[in-house]
Amino acid sequence: MLEVGPRARVGIAACWIAGQAALVTTAPLRPDRIFGFCMFPEASTMQIHLERELDGRRAAVPHGKWSAHDAAGQLAAFSWEDRVRDPILSQLDTRVFASYGVDAQLARLQRALDDVADHMPEDAETARLIAEVTVWKNGREPSTVTVFSHWRRRS
Amino acid sequence: MAWSAIRRWRDELGDVYVLGAVRVALGLLLFANALRALRDLQRGYFGDAFHWPILPEGLVPSRTGYAALVVSQVLLAMLVVAGYRARLALCASALAGTYLLLCDRLQFHHNRWALFCYSLLLSLSPCDRSFFIAGEIPGTRTDSLWAARLTQLQVSIIYVASGGWKLLDSDWRGGRVLLERFHLYGSLAIARGVPPAVLDWVSSPECTSALAKLAIATELFLAVGLWRSRTRVFALWWGVVFHLVIEATSNVEGFTWLTLAVYGLFATPDVRARKLFYDSSRHRGRAIARVVWLLDWLARFEIRAWAPDAVKRGHAVVVVRRDGTHATGIGALAMIARATPLIFPLWGPLAFVASFTRAGETSTGA
Repeated sequence: MLEVGPRARVGIAACWIAGQAALVTTAPLRPDRIFGFCMFPEASTMQIHLERELDGRRAAVPHGKWSAHDAAGQLAAFSWEDRVRDPILSQLDTRVFASYGVDAQLARLQRALDDVADHMPEDAETARLIAEVTVWKNGREPSTVTVFSHWRRRS
Repeated sequence: MAWSAIRRWRDELGDVYVLGAVRVALGLLLFANALRALRDLQRGYFGDAFHWPILPEGLVPSRTGYAALVVSQVLLAMLVVAGYRARLALCASALAGTYLLLCDRLQFHHNRWALFCYSLLLSLSPCDRSFFIAGEIPGTRTDSLWAARLTQLQVSIIYVASGGWKLLDSDWRGGRVLLERFHLYGSLAIARGVPPAVLDWVSSPECTSALAKLAIATELFLAVGLWRSRTRVFALWWGVVFHLVIEATSNVEGFTWLTLAVYGLFATPDVRARKLFYDSSRHRGRAIARVVWLLDWLARFEIRAWAPDAVKRGHAVVVVRRDGTHATGIGALAMIARATPLIFPLWGPLAFVASFTRAGETSTGA
């Protein structure tokens, strides 16, 4: 079944090499550079501080946990870690290694914020989630990046 | 000329014994990878939490589907190791693994992607003719090597990509990335046995700058050096040392063992082309022969006892190289290390010492 004739060998090899070349050369177009074999791209660290935006003001989210009322006025508890189990993104207010580089982790964080914002329908208070990220790129002086989730449609 | 090179690659035949050894190693790594996925599943199904699929969400398997896929990966890896329908199992493992990587890019790691690439390519080669405990006994072990060569090319692609990206990155070229890694992971390296004084020395900016350039040069050299017969053995040895250093200082999952396993494909495609004669009346001769017999996974040696004569008297072992020349003493030990995977790291220092002896260890074609 996996026997390949002489003509097909050349075709398979050409497709394989072209495919790998395309994946490698286009890696910078992907924030996490996956399929690009870009090994140990950085030695950066980052610290994520999570906040909620509530009708124009911000509220801290200590340890990734918060309480909010639902539409019926019932108080409910929420946790960042209920949705985000990734070993890097789940660690809030802790300096962690930005595996695969800062851009990769910020891209993942953006999607994590959107994902959490989409999966807390009982929270009728939070307008959006905000992550203040302190970044130490390859050991340089820290800089801060702010990442927002999309606006939530509250019931 | 290019077409004749393509034809040579396409039609090359050789003994495929080594392919079976590489298949077993890949099978073990696939097994370890599937077990890790199974352990992760016990902690929770990735689809129940934040994940980032490349495929449309509708193509991500349900919890039950994912569990079935992971269990099937365990079983397929066992088939790969056992050598029963191994090529099909290798191909299915590669496709299933790639599919799961596409279901959640948070789980992407270069070593996993490389494992599936190598598995898919090796499944196209006759890697089921040796190292099997079930299935039909193959009629011949001489077969086409085109897919094995393509798998070898994948090794070079990875080195070119990895070395090339580092070369283009000024932080990498200048040593800043390495310096910071040493600061961050120094304690891990010390815990793994790297002496603190060595770590202090290599953690200076001047040293990390030099090491960064050496790492880049190493990756780019390996991409080419593994293919040239004059540089192959040194490239393999240098690559082994390079990857063992990375293993000692970083967490790279199974990448070290994966790369070292695939290095086996660069061995000359023949078996028992060298002879090891040993003096069965001497304990040392018997012990060396026994060790070589146990560790000669690539079937490099024909091992025979001899009745000592005027030529061989005084030596516990004599190695006859491919070209018919003899190696004795430290030269014989270097030849054994050169062809024996587990002690291959010793080849460099042994060959260096042997080069100062009269017999030397200089035959590159052996």
